[in-house]
Amino acid sequence: MNKKFPIAALLLALPTLAQTDTQWVLSQSTLTYHITHPLHQVDGVSHAARGKGVCRSGECDFLIAVPVKSFESGDTNRDLHMLQVTRGGEFPIVTVRTSLPEAASGSATIHADLEIHFAGQTALYKQVAFQQVTQGSETKITGTIPTTLTDFKIDPPSLLTMPVKNEIPIRVEMTWQKQK
Amino acid sequence: MKQNGAKLAFVAGIFFLCLSLSPRASSQDANATLSGKITDPTGAVVPDAKISVKNVATGQSTESQASLAGLYSVPNLAPGDYEVSVSAEGFATKVTKVTLSVGATQTMNLALQSVLSLGDLGFPVAQTQGSAADQARLDKRSHMLKIHQKLGLIDTFPLVATVITGAGAGGKSTSTNDRYLHAALGSATATLYFASAYYAICAPKIPGTQTRGPIRAHKILAWIHGPGMILTPILGAMAFDQKSKGERVHGIARAHGPVAIVTASAYGAAILAVTFKW
Repeated sequence: MNKKFPIAALLLALPTLAQTDTQWVLSQSTLTYHITHPLHQVDGVSHAARGKGVCRSGECDFLIAVPVKSFESGDTNRDLHMLQVTRGGEFPIVTVRTSLPEAASGSATIHADLEIHFAGQTALYKQVAFQQVTQGSETKITGTIPTTLTDFKIDPPSLLTMPVKNEIPIRVEMTWQKQK
Repeated sequence: MKQNGAKLAFVAGIFFLCLSLSPRASSQDANATLSGKITDPTGAVVPDAKISVKNVATGQSTESQASLAGLYSVPNLAPGDYEVSVSAEGFATKVTKVTLSVGATQTMNLALQSVLSLGDLGFPVAQTQGSAADQARLDKRSHMLKIHQKLGLIDTFPLVATVITGAGAGGKSTSTNDRYLHAALGSATATLYFASAYYAICAPKIPGTQTRGPIRAHKILAWIHGPGMILTPILGAMAFDQKSKGERVHGIARAHGPVAIVTASAYGAAILAVTFKW
């Protein structure tokens, strides 16, 4: 009887445990876009992203958002021009949504399907690889999203009639905190 | 009376026999019905949810919509495996599978999960909502600055030509033609310059923007070449007048050359400061 009680209690508790929500909160982030022009290279950096993840029944939904105008490339004129070409006045926030199995938090590499809403367009990026390192309740994630201007119907900015390259990869470095 | 009852029973028997043999009736009996209630995580009903029931074998979908009470019913489904997709605004689309057996009336209640929103991330509403007016201001700014840039670059040609012809127009030279050419080029330079400056000065300002990077040097240099572009033609006109009277350039008009050189240098530096930026 004594041996059976803990097992029965565990079995009864399992559904409750499975339904418990786990939350992830983005505590630090560095997002860097890279633009290549025949004459020069530009990096625009933002630390203003906010994010949250909610896990239910073994599946985690994440939402990450960053204001377009928070990206700084070291030149106000260029940043405002980027804001204009990416229609940041009308669509001021970039959002990224993804769902991952809760079990993925144990892997060194995760592959996520990303739904990115930017410049009034939505693009899907399948199986984007991210490296993750977990220390305690903190998980650091790094990776590069292979975004392009055409994915979001953005006219490439040009200098001296030479347009920038279509590829604008975004380097992602994020630290997530797990909360129960 | 007894005969009438027998007739009635016979007719009724025939009627029910026909009814039971009717192919439509038998098909309807064989078909299943899927129904249930759509709720949110708190158990409250979700009205007007869209339900799509897809037959896995045939790929055929049947659409339905939940009532205001969150109730739905999808009748006439052939027995088989189905993929049920439920969507509603503000909730994550829920997809689940169900197997319907012959003639079954199956109840499947579904709880939708809320979708994370920008409000959950703590963004103020004002920061998340853009406007066409904001975008129009940015578009106008970029458009005007592009014209400013083009006119500014075009202006370098008459500017350089003015500086070169200045050597023949001033000093000990007495050539009237050189003076006129120099004055004409100077006028063209000033006209283009002020047209270019108009587009930079009148381009809409974007509130909350701090000036950083090379554009800062570009703007500071404008405080040198701007007054210089006003002063140079005035001093030039004075020098022109003195030379035309056969006098040597004297007084404040002697500053025409040095002011012009400083102005042209500041102008060139301002262009170089932003040349490699778009």
